[in-house]
Amino acid sequence: MTDERSAPAGAVLVVGGGISGLTAALEAAEVGKDVFLIEKNPYLGGRVAQLNQYFPKLCPPSCGLEINFQRIKANRRVRVYTMTEVKSVTGGPGKYQVTLESKPRFINNNCTACGACADACPDERDNDFNFGMNKSKAVYKPHDMAFPMKYVLDKNACSDAGLQAVKDACKYDAVELDMAAKEFTVDVSAIVWATGWNPYDPTKMTNLKYDSSNAIITNMMMERLAAPNGPTGGKILRPGDNKEPASFAFVQCAGSRDENHLEYCSYICCMASMKHINYIREQYPTAKITVFYIDLRTPGKYEKFREKLMSDANITWVKGKVADIVAEADGSVTLIAENAVTGDKIKETVDLAILATGMEPAAKAQAAALGLSVDSNGFILADAEGGMVSAGCAKKAADVVTCGQSATAAAMKAIQASRR
Amino acid sequence: MAEGMRVEPDLEFIKYLKSAGGDTLKKCYQCATCSVVCPLSNDTKPFPRKEMIWAQWGLKDKLVADPDVMLCHQCGDCTTHCPRGAKPGDVLGAIRAYAYIHYGFPSGLAKLVSQGKNLPLIIALPALVILAVWWLSGGMTLPAADAIDFGMFFDSHKDHPTIIGGLTLNVLLIDAIFVPALGFAIFAAYKGVSKMWRDMAAQLEVKTEFRPSAKQFVTEFLVPSIKEILAHKRFKECGTNQNRVNGHLPLLLSFIALFVVTTYGMIRKDILGMFIEGMHGPIPLADPFKVLANISAIALIVGVGILWMNRAHAEEENNATPTFYDWFLIVKIMTVGVTGLSAELTRLIGIPVLAYLFYFMHLVSVLMLFIYMPYTKFAHMVYRTFAMAFEKYRESGFAQKIEG
Repeated sequence: MTDERSAPAGAVLVVGGGISGLTAALEAAEVGKDVFLIEKNPYLGGRVAQLNQYFPKLCPPSCGLEINFQRIKANRRVRVYTMTEVKSVTGGPGKYQVTLESKPRFINNNCTACGACADACPDERDNDFNFGMNKSKAVYKPHDMAFPMKYVLDKNACSDAGLQAVKDACKYDAVELDMAAKEFTVDVSAIVWATGWNPYDPTKMTNLKYDSSNAIITNMMMERLAAPNGPTGGKILRPGDNKEPASFAFVQCAGSRDENHLEYCSYICCMASMKHINYIREQYPTAKITVFYIDLRTPGKYEKFREKLMSDANITWVKGKVADIVAEADGSVTLIAENAVTGDKIKETVDLAILATGMEPAAKAQAAALGLSVDSNGFILADAEGGMVSAGCAKKAADVVTCGQSATAAAMKAIQASRR
Repeated sequence: MAEGMRVEPDLEFIKYLKSAGGDTLKKCYQCATCSVVCPLSNDTKPFPRKEMIWAQWGLKDKLVADPDVMLCHQCGDCTTHCPRGAKPGDVLGAIRAYAYIHYGFPSGLAKLVSQGKNLPLIIALPALVILAVWWLSGGMTLPAADAIDFGMFFDSHKDHPTIIGGLTLNVLLIDAIFVPALGFAIFAAYKGVSKMWRDMAAQLEVKTEFRPSAKQFVTEFLVPSIKEILAHKRFKECGTNQNRVNGHLPLLLSFIALFVVTTYGMIRKDILGMFIEGMHGPIPLADPFKVLANISAIALIVGVGILWMNRAHAEEENNATPTFYDWFLIVKIMTVGVTGLSAELTRLIGIPVLAYLFYFMHLVSVLMLFIYMPYTKFAHMVYRTFAMAFEKYRESGFAQKIEG
């Protein structure tokens, strides 16, 4: 990686290293643009990296991400900065000055990911990659196929003795305890905002009482539970007591299509829940599953996916939104809804309830400070002058396929802006 | 669609609902959150989700004969949790308003009272009646220097001798108007409620071999409902507008107490007063009935004041839609309370002009309360009571579903 200030004119900044950002960065770089790709996390891959499988072909994330990582490695025009965020943007189309800040990783490029430091480290931290369902050492590899393949040290979670142990354990002199945050500025002609999404905070739906029971999880937690590199090694078990659930229920539109929360449809949750049913069926072929929904949105060819699941006799489909969840003494939960087709009130007790929480644009809180124009829901709007483009879930709630398309389109717009 | 249901929407009905606070109706997308969060909704056939779709379809006949519509206390929990801002609470309120007109007897009067644009006429009718009383009793002159006596209106004993047994013409006329007005209101409410009951029973499709006797009806269905109402059991289950109990309970109790003391006052002054000299003057302030009356008057003003503020607050929070139907009752009750108390106070202080003026306004507002009871929001008093009785009937052995 060369000095960032020496980039030739017409460079593109891509903010966010998820599937959209990777795509936009590569599309721009592969036609000859210089690209700065920055990512807030210590690894690339974003939300897709956290999934067990993803649409359209139910591939493991290693499938699509690996090829993109190879392309990045092979392309000298892409400069990647992890643990880096945008501090401020000045200038205009064709000549933006963007101030970036990299947080210290405390592990330098000598790291070979041998893991000796983690073995030696006595301290632990909540593993946010697994939504806190397990712990990792305070010095950790973000996940098995992290890119860049380097450890990260969470200094706040580490005792002084722990820091010393970590430093002593490294044979390659990769631990730099005095590494400091670094601020730097890049000159770019266009910015692609691919800042992605966060799962909507389930505690905000007070009537669903997310905090009242371990038997209530979110759809993203379900991905981690089912993932081979997840907290349970891919076995779907109830957090807390590791019980094999005998029954499951899906709470669709948990926070989406709700003007008190996210007023839009998050687009992915119906198919995500159906995908989760597939995960469950692989491990529990006859477990009882109930899906509570308002409408099932299975666009295009996914209709077939739905039809297949609907022929499963052990799956009940209830048109009616869950509006109350009661934690039971035995660790299960009772979901309460009205079946809008029959008009009966339903109380369904299950071992594991999955809230199909929606997508909240990640840049929502930061957008105003950065001078981004956003719609009423916090999705980033394209700048009329053309220098700022949004892609993927920063633009609208979308699946991976749509993100790929919008990221390619964003790359095209960024290239056009840089040629003016 | 051979087996499909033929929906014949009543467009006028939908238009009325939209005008009466149910304009958010069409936003509902039937997620059924409301039916679950409603604390009054039962576990077998919950509401108000089904009412929302019936209303969207314009199924008027189904809705006016639906006890669940009347059971709703409009606490607003459904509206708070509604993901679409469809305000089911307000829609049900609008359906109730429509039902009072639908069952109202005579229907012309019911329709008149249902619309804010008729307000001048709504006030003018009772005002003219009371003005006539005033005029007939020989008043319409500047108040005499005598002690203020509402039994005289502006008149004095000296100029106009009493008619029967010490009663003035004014008192006789008031009794002759108010007692029949109350009787008429009760009769109209009875007609409306009994029609509602018949419609509800018809919708239930139950066997009619076993019908409760009048005694069974009163002891098993009506009295338990009234007990529930007095205890405000259902009101207290409401989550969003808990404070409404603090307003409605004193208001209800003060109404009962004021009805008792007014009846007492009439018997004492207008009936006993015919035979016992001096009984038809104002009741002394220390009299237990007068004490109760004054406490009740204050409780009434405080109670309706709390409801007033709650409603204004809910509207500010966009949790309720302002309607003529709701505000007419609140303002009317406030007027009854404030004019009554003001008349008493100005009488005690000794300002005849104001005292008689307030007394006049008080008579007008009370007459409005009486004659419009069966058609305005005040009608919930009888309709909801009987709907609660119907709910108990529906769950009793008398209402067994027809098999098959």
